[in-house]
Amino acid sequence: MSVSIDDARLRAINDKYRIFNQLIDRESMEADDSSSFTFSAKDNLCTREFQARAGSKILEGYRPPFDATPVRKLREAGGLLLGKTNMDEFGFGTFSTNSGFDIPLNPFDTGRACGGSSGGAAAAAALIEGHVALGVSTGGSISAPASFCGVFGLTPTYGRVSRYGLIDYGNSLDKVGLLSRSMGDIKMFLPVISGSDPKDPTSCTQPRIQISQRKIKRLALPKEALANISPEVESTFRYALEKMSLELGIAVHEVSMPSLRFAMPAYYILATTEASTNLARYCGMRFGVPEKDVSQHFNDFFSGVRSECFGQEAKRRILLGTFCRMVGFRDKYYLKSLAVRQLITKEYRSVFDEHDLIVTPTMPFVAPKFDEIAKMRPLEMYSADFLTIPPNLTGLPHLSAPCGYVGPMPVGMQFVAPHWDESGLISMGEEWERVFQLKTPEVMQ
Amino acid sequence: MDIEKVKRVAKVARLELTDEELKKFAQDLEDILNNFSVLDEAPGLTEYDFNPVPVNDVLREDQVGQEFDPAMLRAMMDTYEDYVRGPKLS
Repeated sequence: MSVSIDDARLRAINDKYRIFNQLIDRESMEADDSSSFTFSAKDNLCTREFQARAGSKILEGYRPPFDATPVRKLREAGGLLLGKTNMDEFGFGTFSTNSGFDIPLNPFDTGRACGGSSGGAAAAAALIEGHVALGVSTGGSISAPASFCGVFGLTPTYGRVSRYGLIDYGNSLDKVGLLSRSMGDIKMFLPVISGSDPKDPTSCTQPRIQISQRKIKRLALPKEALANISPEVESTFRYALEKMSLELGIAVHEVSMPSLRFAMPAYYILATTEASTNLARYCGMRFGVPEKDVSQHFNDFFSGVRSECFGQEAKRRILLGTFCRMVGFRDKYYLKSLAVRQLITKEYRSVFDEHDLIVTPTMPFVAPKFDEIAKMRPLEMYSADFLTIPPNLTGLPHLSAPCGYVGPMPVGMQFVAPHWDESGLISMGEEWERVFQLKTPEVMQ
Repeated sequence: MDIEKVKRVAKVARLELTDEELKKFAQDLEDILNNFSVLDEAPGLTEYDFNPVPVNDVLREDQVGQEFDPAMLRAMMDTYEDYVRGPKLS
């Protein structure tokens, strides 16, 4: 079997939707006769043949001499890497509009965002047949774009997939996962990219991944999840729950998870404190854009390139994270957030004692228009992640699945499973896929 | 958050901000931190971990080796003889 997309078609799709910031060259594409599927890598995953810029101008020119482990594993499984997908700078965003390069356009309406930060990955999954996209999630960057672009997006348990070769955002939060139109592809490729890797110690305590179909019977719906949801998303979501009950015999019980209200601030504090230290390495010496004038004092040398090349959201998060780590605030913000993570994890565990999975909508609204996003305050954007943050903060595996449409625009629902139970998510996703009528964007019809 | 405080934070973070940026970020951070004060209502806990699942250190014996060609590094970085060139420390 060879790959099913030709070079001209790929370039035409990319010209229209701005999925990739770097694409495979025509000769490599045409010379390929052994690959069995195509895949893409989010721009923050290192690959040998492309620059790895994580959507940031400060990494312009950085060409890694190695492949990230998930990229290497997909190549070894017979995959052809098509290119690097557009994203928010370092993953800092909900709509993929905070990019130093191209902003991807929604496959169902090019006046709307793809979601973020793996926006290009979700668009690739929606628009390219048989394609599997490597995404990365820190606080919802796989679920959000999967929801807005109408594809399946699986974020595995923290530590399930090696992060060797991933450009860090938040070390206690980053996870590599998959986006695809088909649950079958996610089921096939998740075990391929999973597993212990001595180059990433966080991957070395995991139990072996075992995917086996099982009947999902009981879902929990936290009542707190339905506050601040748009009426059309809520009605689409409730219709999907009814369909699950009638056609799949799955019961949904409303529960209360009061600690979820602490998740958003705790997440942003941990994510930005970790990001502000990780981004200290970008200072004009080792990676990307070099500062030339070595006669400057080091403070000016480092500050100049950072001030010029980081985008506004990156600067905002560096400031927030630096502030939360400063003397006098560390206990109030950082340590409190670590404690809150434990509190929320315990609450999840008590719900899982009596339920297979937890279900909520993925995002509170359908993909917004670009002019609507331009009017949002940063806090409003952060708040839009309130449903995707809790499982990310606690490292729980989760799956966003398309569950209906508002006009042409997809709506997603999110399933959350106990640590290491990706198998439960795949069972649920496959059952749902069997009864749900998935729509594909017009470009592919 | 006042502009002077943002200036101090920016200095620690090695960022030079314009007056317009300082004003905007002061407002944004004020807005964000006010919202985050909900954390004051969270129960006080002493239990925490730095990772969401248990993680063990992975150790190995040191091995002498060379993964990358030094010539490549020399070509990519600002070097003088066998040294990397950097800014002044004082």
